[in-house]
Amino acid sequence: MPRVELNAKAPDFTLNDFNGKTISLADFTGQKNVLVVFNRGFF
Amino acid sequence: MAQLRRDYEQFVSLGTEILVAGPEKAEAFREYWAKENLPFIGLPDPEHRVLKLYGQEVKLFKLGRLPAQMLIDKNATVRFVHYGHSMADIPSNEEILSLLTSSPT
Repeated sequence: MPRVELNAKAPDFTLNDFNGKTISLADFTGQKNVLVVFNRGFF
Repeated sequence: MAQLRRDYEQFVSLGTEILVAGPEKAEAFREYWAKENLPFIGLPDPEHRVLKLYGQEVKLFKLGRLPAQMLIDKNATVRFVHYGHSMADIPSNEEILSLLTSSPT
């Protein structure tokens, strides 16, 4: 069951990118749109 | 990933950053990004924190990691959600780009 609803506020999250830099969804709020892609696995 | 990379500049020109999350570890991301020369922000999520938060737990880990895409605008509002029903079920960039073009925030 999808937990992200269209036209609702996106849940904030924070993860480190693969270089160790902290990335939060909130960093982009007011700045940029964000396309979040959940990959099925690269390999 | 190839189609996203092809249209990356178009996303950027529409004020959009692309974040790619997956269950692999940082090292695997780093190697893949280097190999494919990807411009996106890569977010290793081996503890499945965001994957669970965004509802991909069951599909990803019981049925085989189905793709999903969400477009979140500058107000942190979800503007587009697509949960893949198969490995190949990925929306076209055109569909997402047209949203960005037609309703700038």
